[in-house]
Amino acid sequence: MSGKLVSRRQFLKHAGATAALLGLSEAMIPQLANALQELAAGKPPVIWIQGQNCTGCSVSFLNSNYPGVADLVLNQLSVRYQPNVMAGTGKTAIEAIDETVKSMKGKYVLVVEGPVPTAENGEYCTFGLGTGTKKLMGNTVPNDKTIQEWMNELVPPAAAVIANGSCAAFGGIPAANASVTGTTPISKVVARIDPRKPVINVGGCPSHPDWFVGTVLEALLYLQGKGKLNLNENKMSRTFFGQLIHENCERRASFDSGLFLEDWNQNNPDMKLCMFKMGCKGPVTYADCPVRRWNSKVNWCVGANAPCHGCASPAFYKELSPLYQPLPNVNFDGITPAVDVLGWVAAGATAVGVGAHYLYKQLGEKPREPAEGGEK
Amino acid sequence: MAQIISIDPLTRIEGHMRIDVEIEGGAVKDAWSSGTMFRGIEMLLKGKHPWDCQQVVERVCGVCPLIHGTASSYALDDAMDVSLPDNARIIRNLALGANYIQSHILHFYHLAALDFVDVTAVPNYSGSNPALKLLKDKVTQLVAAGDPYPFLPRYSSPDYIGEPGGPGDANLATELVGHYVQAFEMRKKAQEMLSIFYGRMPSFVGTIPGGVTQPPTLMNIAAFQSRLAELQQWIDNVYIQDILTIAKVPQYQPFMKAGDSGGSYLAYGGFDQDQKGNEKFLPRGTIYDNEIMNVQGFDEQKIVESVKYSWYTPDCEGKNPKYGKTEPDLKKADAYTFLKAPRYNGKPMEVGPLARMLIKKPDILVNLATSLGLLTPPVKFGILPRHAARAIECKLVADEMSKWLAQLQPGKPIWDPRGKAIPDESFGRGLVEGPRGALGHWIQIKGKKTENYQAVVPTTWNASPRDKDGVRGPIETALIGVPVPDVDNPINVARCVRSFDPCLACAIHIIHPEHNGVKEFRII
Repeated sequence: MSGKLVSRRQFLKHAGATAALLGLSEAMIPQLANALQELAAGKPPVIWIQGQNCTGCSVSFLNSNYPGVADLVLNQLSVRYQPNVMAGTGKTAIEAIDETVKSMKGKYVLVVEGPVPTAENGEYCTFGLGTGTKKLMGNTVPNDKTIQEWMNELVPPAAAVIANGSCAAFGGIPAANASVTGTTPISKVVARIDPRKPVINVGGCPSHPDWFVGTVLEALLYLQGKGKLNLNENKMSRTFFGQLIHENCERRASFDSGLFLEDWNQNNPDMKLCMFKMGCKGPVTYADCPVRRWNSKVNWCVGANAPCHGCASPAFYKELSPLYQPLPNVNFDGITPAVDVLGWVAAGATAVGVGAHYLYKQLGEKPREPAEGGEK
Repeated sequence: MAQIISIDPLTRIEGHMRIDVEIEGGAVKDAWSSGTMFRGIEMLLKGKHPWDCQQVVERVCGVCPLIHGTASSYALDDAMDVSLPDNARIIRNLALGANYIQSHILHFYHLAALDFVDVTAVPNYSGSNPALKLLKDKVTQLVAAGDPYPFLPRYSSPDYIGEPGGPGDANLATELVGHYVQAFEMRKKAQEMLSIFYGRMPSFVGTIPGGVTQPPTLMNIAAFQSRLAELQQWIDNVYIQDILTIAKVPQYQPFMKAGDSGGSYLAYGGFDQDQKGNEKFLPRGTIYDNEIMNVQGFDEQKIVESVKYSWYTPDCEGKNPKYGKTEPDLKKADAYTFLKAPRYNGKPMEVGPLARMLIKKPDILVNLATSLGLLTPPVKFGILPRHAARAIECKLVADEMSKWLAQLQPGKPIWDPRGKAIPDESFGRGLVEGPRGALGHWIQIKGKKTENYQAVVPTTWNASPRDKDGVRGPIETALIGVPVPDVDNPINVARCVRSFDPCLACAIHIIHPEHNGVKEFRII
């Protein structure tokens, strides 16, 4: 294949490291190699647009490690439009989109960072120039093009859409103000345009670079017919969002022993204290932060003696507030995390554990033994 | 004949920005700066637990979460009347410093450098550096495969370094592109430094009202120090040297003075050196009309916001931000942006590294400015001095950080528990210096809940529209006179705007939801 940047052997070696770090099955590696190599120009084209975003997921992408971002951009992905990285400006930036839509119909992955505001005809978020005109202090100039219009154009020819980060996926922080701007998650916007178009959500505020890159790779395999998407009910990859943070937390032993941090000057030399009473949302958040960690594995939120805020959860932020108060409905009668309020919470063993030990610590009494398996 | 060109998207910044310029006689005659996206971050804080504020306002901007979180922590400290332990003050300074390093490196290399360097010159590299030869192979293959994204398409211009007939040669261009690639790793290390104390970046968890969450230990100090030492070397030997290289390119000499914002500068001051913040590493002050030897004081009361060209009713005109009123009027004639026009003492003020360095005037800056002829009248600081000031600040802060690191005391307190005692009613203010300039956060607490939250951010100063007297904002003024020899390729307009490191998500947000629709809100 002409224009190939790495040999198949090199790729397999590299993909091995990549896949291992991304938590992909080793068995997927040859398929991954084939999938990437068989795409038209050797590198899958990506158009990455931004709605009501904060660019945090783009900055997080720049923190990608093995593969690093230079490697991703130079070797693995053909980044056609990404407003923070690309050289083009103004019409030369838009040219990159137009060219890709024309020549890569059905082949590009559309990444959307930030949700779409639908109120006021979408005028709360625009980029690029529209086909009409407007007045600017007496001058006539081209009008603005809304992100909604861009979605209408870019979704149908896309192979798949990836909503990158909690706000694109579920509304996130801007959704707490949806009554004003009409913030709408990407999956809903896409469903209105083309209900059959595959949409995959990447949680996190911001998304972890591995979650995003890994989800892109999984999506590419799927598009090649080489792999199945193993998504949960929120359209998130189970590879990254399959387990509760609480299950894998390095401070789980403290939790089980009832050792909770209550003062940040407390420093237990023997055991790092559990953040539950400082509001940790680990017991209700599905993500692999405790094992994956952040910033080249340097640390993660609980590792910094702070509670998990549940940023990868579809409930973030509105339903998880107040962030520094213990989870509600884990009450002194034991048990039930309010499945009616937090419908996505796994009940069962974890919930029992939370209730029992919290009770123990609060009242200084030994908890009743929970039933085997911890059913409620 | 005059002609208006509209540039949207203005890429390689944070956020959604549009620039319209009127070109006459090969130069910019008039300019308009507009922000084109908003969400409404502050309004959703009303009624929330005050401790939530810091986590939410970090998400105002994914490029600047560190500084918004820091300003919020100081505002909450103030509202709770805490005494910040020295360890906490120092860790906050170290984290802020690490963010300066990552932000300044990111800005010069990944946001700005592609305006000066021709990546497509790399295949012509003829040197023997093994890493650069690999880079040459890689770029050659990209071009051969017809897939030069994301480096093409772009504005064409004869003055890119490495462009045939342009300045420098392919070897210099390749060296700079090599540094662009290295810079990805370098800024990542600076993010790792933040992560050591603050848990992760972007969106960190390591500050809380009253202090920080993670105590200093020999291990985390060592992990921080080793990365800092590596970054200091790279800043001195690569970043500063590349700035000097670009500053010496003959074709870029007009950019020494072109891009002057009007010459008035403002800094709130940053990096507290004592508990009360009386002494700051980056001092507070104001400069008017390029009289750089005459640094004057700062009085918050002198900030007034004008809305004549913003989408707000005339009632909102002329208020101090603390008492600011905002009623939108999307049909208002002549309005063209959601940013208000803050003015200090009636003047548009530039904020950011250039402002801070001109107020501090470190020797390294004065010597460089002298050698570049910047101090000979008419004194003006344009596109290149703005980049140079950022690089010099990056070095100064990095060097100072190793001293701060040595002041940490493992085992001593990191938190004042008063931070947890939410008063029934209180008011707090946090004034800090972010990588992009002066930032203020204000919180009002009522019934132990957040009653009101406001932020006035750097890009609102820099990217503001005209005020009631028709005086342009700093970026608009800076654009006047910038040469645009080819209206189809207005590269110099982009160079000028990017030199300010604009951050639009920060600059636009809404507060005061009084009704279901947009009835009363405020864009800052």
